[in-house]
Amino acid sequence: MKTLEYVRVEDQLPDQVAAPGGILDSANIVGMWFATDKQATGVVRLELRQHEDVLKVRALGAGTVEPYDWGEITATAYGSGVTAVDTMAFSAVYDFGFLVTILAAYAKQGILVLDTFNTFTDSSGRSNYFSREFFHR
Amino acid sequence: MSNAMMTRVRDQLPAAGTRAALSIDLRPLMGGWVNYNENSTGINRVYIDDWEGTPTLRVFGASRPAPIDWGEVAGAAFADGVGGREAVGFTATYDLDFAQVLLAGYLNKRLLVLDAYSMFTDGSGRANYFQRDHFYLP
Repeated sequence: MKTLEYVRVEDQLPDQVAAPGGILDSANIVGMWFATDKQATGVVRLELRQHEDVLKVRALGAGTVEPYDWGEITATAYGSGVTAVDTMAFSAVYDFGFLVTILAAYAKQGILVLDTFNTFTDSSGRSNYFSREFFHR
Repeated sequence: MSNAMMTRVRDQLPAAGTRAALSIDLRPLMGGWVNYNENSTGINRVYIDDWEGTPTLRVFGASRPAPIDWGEVAGAAFADGVGGREAVGFTATYDLDFAQVLLAGYLNKRLLVLDAYSMFTDGSGRANYFQRDHFYLP
């Protein structure tokens, strides 16, 4: 049996357990997620859907009049371990031209926790920043 | 009122206008961070340094008999807002032969929380996975 490459114990398959293969099932994470903070100044809504085995995310940012629609992009889905079959986390990258935003999120006990890592590529002098936000269905 | 582009209210500077960009102070991130859980199957230690204003990471993965050195990569540092000057978070990506690992970390008081988003690229059939570890500075 071929030894799989790894860089930590968690990368390894348990003895006698086959790799699951295939695509993670995102049924438990798809849907509409709303910021728990009604006064949120960051992301106010996330829409997740699975389309032809691909996880898609659409984020909406807080606006003064109405939310900014960031559009839909493809996300990468992650399980809880190498033998997982269900999605419990995702990452995605928005490139707005003046700003690159990495979304890194996971679901836990009915709450979606979203970290954003924001890098400005314009000359506005704004600091690159991190945010952590919480969502419910 | 600043007319800088934005994707959410939080992108806006509190004071009007633009200003000269200053680098983010990396000192809060720097050091040799040790996993609180000595039996973690994930990342054992992470060393964060400052290379001319850019954070560098060196990660050691849990393994027996000795941790596995992932080597050093450059990362990116983040403040807690557009007017922030001290680093509270970082990202870095390891492109390994068999996997790509996005590291997304942030400080919570004196604790470093590190999330690893691992995507296998070797066709082994292993599921991409998320793992979280917590670290302290000894």
